[in-house]
Amino acid sequence: MSAPAEKTVRKVPTYCYQCVAGPDLLTVKVVDGVATEVEPNFTAAEVTPSAGKVCVKAFGLVQKMYNPNRILTPMKRTNPKKGVDQDPGFVPISWDEALDAIAERLKTVQARGANDESGYPRIAASFGGGGTPTYYMGTLPAFLASIGPIDFGFGSGQGVKCYHSEHLYGELWHRAFTVAPDTPNTEFMLSFGYNVEASGGVCGVKRHADARARGAKRVQIEPHLSVTGACSAEWVPIRPKTDAAFMFGLLHVMLHEQRNRLDIPFLKHRTTSPYLVAPNGFFLRDPATRKPLVYDLSGQRAVPFDTPGIDPALEGSFKVSGLEIGADDDVWEHRLEKVQPAFQKLIDHTAEYTPLWAGRICDVPHKVIRRLALEFLDHARVGETVEVEGRELPYRPVSIALGKTVNNGWGGFDCCWARTLMACLVGALEVPGGTLGTTVRLNRPATDRNLSVKAHPDGFMDYPMNPTDKAGWLAKPDVRNANRTLIPLVANSPWSQALGPTHLAWMQQQKAPEHWPQATPPDIWFVYRTNPAISFWDTRQITEVMARFPFTVCFAMTADETNHFADILLPDATDLEGLQLIRVGGTKFIEQFWDYQGFALRQPVAEAQGDARDFTWIATELARRSGVLDKYVKAVNRGAAGVPLKGENYDFSLADDEPPSVEQVWDATCRAASAEITDGAEDQGLDWYREHGFRLAPFPRLKWYLYAAIEDAGLRFELPYQERLMRIGKQLGRRLHEHGISWWDEQLEEYDPLPEYKNYPEMWEKALERNFNVDIRDYPFWAVTARSMQYAWGGNAGIQMIREVAENIGGHGGVVINSGKAAELGLADGDLVEIRSPLNATRGRVVTRQGIRPDTLLMIGQFEHWATPFAKDLELPSLNKLVPMLLDLTDSTGSGSDLARVSISRVEKAP
Amino acid sequence: MTRYVMVADLERCVGCQTCTAACKHTNATAPGVQWRRVLDMEVGEYPDVRRAFVPVGCMHCADPPCMHVCPTTATGQRADGLVTIDYDICIGCSYCAVACPYQARYKVDRPAQAYAEGRMRNETNREDPGRQGVAQKCTFCIERIDYGQAHGLTPGIDPEATPACVNACIASALQFGDIEDPESNVSQLLATHKHFRMHEELGTEPGFYYLWEDQ
Repeated sequence: MSAPAEKTVRKVPTYCYQCVAGPDLLTVKVVDGVATEVEPNFTAAEVTPSAGKVCVKAFGLVQKMYNPNRILTPMKRTNPKKGVDQDPGFVPISWDEALDAIAERLKTVQARGANDESGYPRIAASFGGGGTPTYYMGTLPAFLASIGPIDFGFGSGQGVKCYHSEHLYGELWHRAFTVAPDTPNTEFMLSFGYNVEASGGVCGVKRHADARARGAKRVQIEPHLSVTGACSAEWVPIRPKTDAAFMFGLLHVMLHEQRNRLDIPFLKHRTTSPYLVAPNGFFLRDPATRKPLVYDLSGQRAVPFDTPGIDPALEGSFKVSGLEIGADDDVWEHRLEKVQPAFQKLIDHTAEYTPLWAGRICDVPHKVIRRLALEFLDHARVGETVEVEGRELPYRPVSIALGKTVNNGWGGFDCCWARTLMACLVGALEVPGGTLGTTVRLNRPATDRNLSVKAHPDGFMDYPMNPTDKAGWLAKPDVRNANRTLIPLVANSPWSQALGPTHLAWMQQQKAPEHWPQATPPDIWFVYRTNPAISFWDTRQITEVMARFPFTVCFAMTADETNHFADILLPDATDLEGLQLIRVGGTKFIEQFWDYQGFALRQPVAEAQGDARDFTWIATELARRSGVLDKYVKAVNRGAAGVPLKGENYDFSLADDEPPSVEQVWDATCRAASAEITDGAEDQGLDWYREHGFRLAPFPRLKWYLYAAIEDAGLRFELPYQERLMRIGKQLGRRLHEHGISWWDEQLEEYDPLPEYKNYPEMWEKALERNFNVDIRDYPFWAVTARSMQYAWGGNAGIQMIREVAENIGGHGGVVINSGKAAELGLADGDLVEIRSPLNATRGRVVTRQGIRPDTLLMIGQFEHWATPFAKDLELPSLNKLVPMLLDLTDSTGSGSDLARVSISRVEKAP
Repeated sequence: MTRYVMVADLERCVGCQTCTAACKHTNATAPGVQWRRVLDMEVGEYPDVRRAFVPVGCMHCADPPCMHVCPTTATGQRADGLVTIDYDICIGCSYCAVACPYQARYKVDRPAQAYAEGRMRNETNREDPGRQGVAQKCTFCIERIDYGQAHGLTPGIDPEATPACVNACIASALQFGDIEDPESNVSQLLATHKHFRMHEELGTEPGFYYLWEDQ
């Protein structure tokens, strides 16, 4: 192990947060000032859920740093024409020239007003990777805060690449921006395309490997046999986009064949199942208090839901009186009207969804659906409890996880609802062994989802809906994707704009929908750590739009397909070159459940290459040159860089009359972090963190389970009946119609109190036929995609080592097709094929596998680069190019799906 | 006696290739050279198909065919079971690469260069001319084992004495240790799980075991 005597060897602690499943801690071995090896951080083995390890992506960081294709000086465009076929003519310039050009533009733009003539912010910014760029951009958030408002609504994949429906409904129902099994305690998992072994990061992989080792069973339901399917006990090859039918079939078995095995006390007292539903579909309410009524079996009368000592009915019909309050405070008074509990409505609603019905839709034997429902119940352990840190909680070791496409676009609502409801039926929501939320991004505070449990008068959790009442509705969108106007559930947190409907921002640049003004392009567009020209849908249309943006600033690693349209390129210090302190621990997606929380430092392991600059230096200089230095520093002091610099017992605030150095910013941040974590008792600075890498304090495991907070607040989960959603949907419909807008009517139909299954595959087929005037029979395959652990979120398609190791995993070589189907079509491995959708075509090499449905093609990851060095020579196909942006295929949350109907034809035989 | 072996739990392995990458970093192998890698295998026909991830590399056989065919005695075997290559003696004839039933051997004739546009600083920093033009393969990170033994550490337990692929494995699928010690981690795993070795019928007695279910 000893290095030659003349070599200087250091091990530098830092973190990797390339993907949403991070952060993970690591060390980098540095020999004679050159980063050579990535290693686990062994000192963190006992205190991190990843055991101090990082996944394969982190090993690409050394090549990322020394990549000879890096852009290492600021550049400016010399060709005023923008287009895929235009050479940008980038030429090197000094940092002074680059920053002054940006600052001048900012000042000019701001002098004309923050918003343009259409009312949209003149400045826009797009960041990728589910929030991960924040952990690399130093104090840029403080700069953005000081020049705002910013339009963050131009998406780079959000809505179709994320767990979109889950984000919104998950936060509504159980403060779950994403949802995860309580993997360390669960016994039985139903996974509908949840590809945790590819996208769950180190924590996800480790937790599930441990679960398998102790005998937990996972059933993977998806059209192709993914790496997660490979690691599951059973694979059920379901027809694409029919998952909702499968889940409805499961619900039918539980509700109609096994009702006596459900968790009745949980349903009665921790859900809204007993709430009485009045004739117009809204809850029946007590005229005096306006509280929803339940029917008390012991008193034989209707009483407000929170009446102590009652035994509320779940089933039956009752003649009772009360008020019904609808949209916009419409009121009906009912006298001895026949009403039913929401649970009875649910039973009636699911009567037709038999396993036989579901099996035919899903192309899955109905016996499999029934068996899995029974296995789920067998493992549910209804009635059992377990002690967590001295508190007794229900123990329900069954869980359900949803993957992308399952919970995106049409059908996503059904799937999220059915999944959460199944957990409720056996009392397995937010309890040990069950289905859990990870974190909040729409509710507040963001640091602790337990603290976001606040009471709504109707007895469940409140939610920060965007208003749909006459007084509060935002009739004129304030950003180009109109999220607050169209999507009540997306709320109005700093994350909301990026949740979209982000494709609407792009679509509106081409053609505004009826009754809305033509959307303007932003005067300035900042882009960091994202490449929407590759990662969004309908990438051709995206590139056409970005070519029209007048001034684009890209923080650039290498040339890529988005910065091809830039006016200025700025080379920022990369992952191993920059300095930043971030929060770690607690609970977070995808399966980061820690017993600690605290802070970790990212630090330069070696000298930055070329003239790449630390992001904090860039942000400070931009602020200074734009004349907003005082606002910028004040924002840093408030905590825009992650930690408020002033607390009750400490004050490390920076002076706002001169630009702080990078080290000053992060030294103050480190001191504030130390003070925060010790209630002001300690104030270790940057040097301490450079040496130790991280600092943690215990995080109570009880906080993993929201049930405790719900129980403490005396609240219920808002399931099964979606009275509140129905109300806001009706109100939204009225508002839109009052303004003459009818192009959102199909989305309005989704505000069902109990979702009805729609023929989702047919919905896709009809939309494509309608919009492209094609016969869908000419496109006989479903094309789907899947994440790759080696690539997902990494922005690393240009990293040679990542490509090399990814090729060991089947499917990374091109278009995956069922072996039997390929033989039938005369296709062989290595044949070059064209995959054509009604929108566009892509090319790739045939990869035959047994583990995929004969009606499905798979294209892993996001490729077909044409500008990124190395990646552009890979000859890999892209599903993104084939998926259209259509309102018809946009659901009420503003989400679409990674799904296309395609044909396949050979271009040339394998060499 | 000591015999170091590798154990791969196929129930745990997810094919992520973190071990492959960690090996490439630790051993500075050239592009395309993977002393450790993970195969992606399918068995059966749709819809009754299973997929498995199988880590492979030099099996450090007790009776290594590569050693028997080596004309220069460059390939040797230590008392602790490690199959070694003396780069100074190796003439690069590649007989061993042909003889190895596990396709574990490589030969590289040029300095490492991942990108056509130029060599990277980490590549020049770690250039080892002695490894060019000769056979190379997984060493079980022999330097770590020797370092560990010299410092009272236990290979397979203490990270400093453990192969990089094992340290890096995020699923804890790879384990390393002394099979002759009945109390060792690997002995305990083999005692409690069904296991097999690859191409056992060839009589090479590989030092690489695959676990596939609890006994």
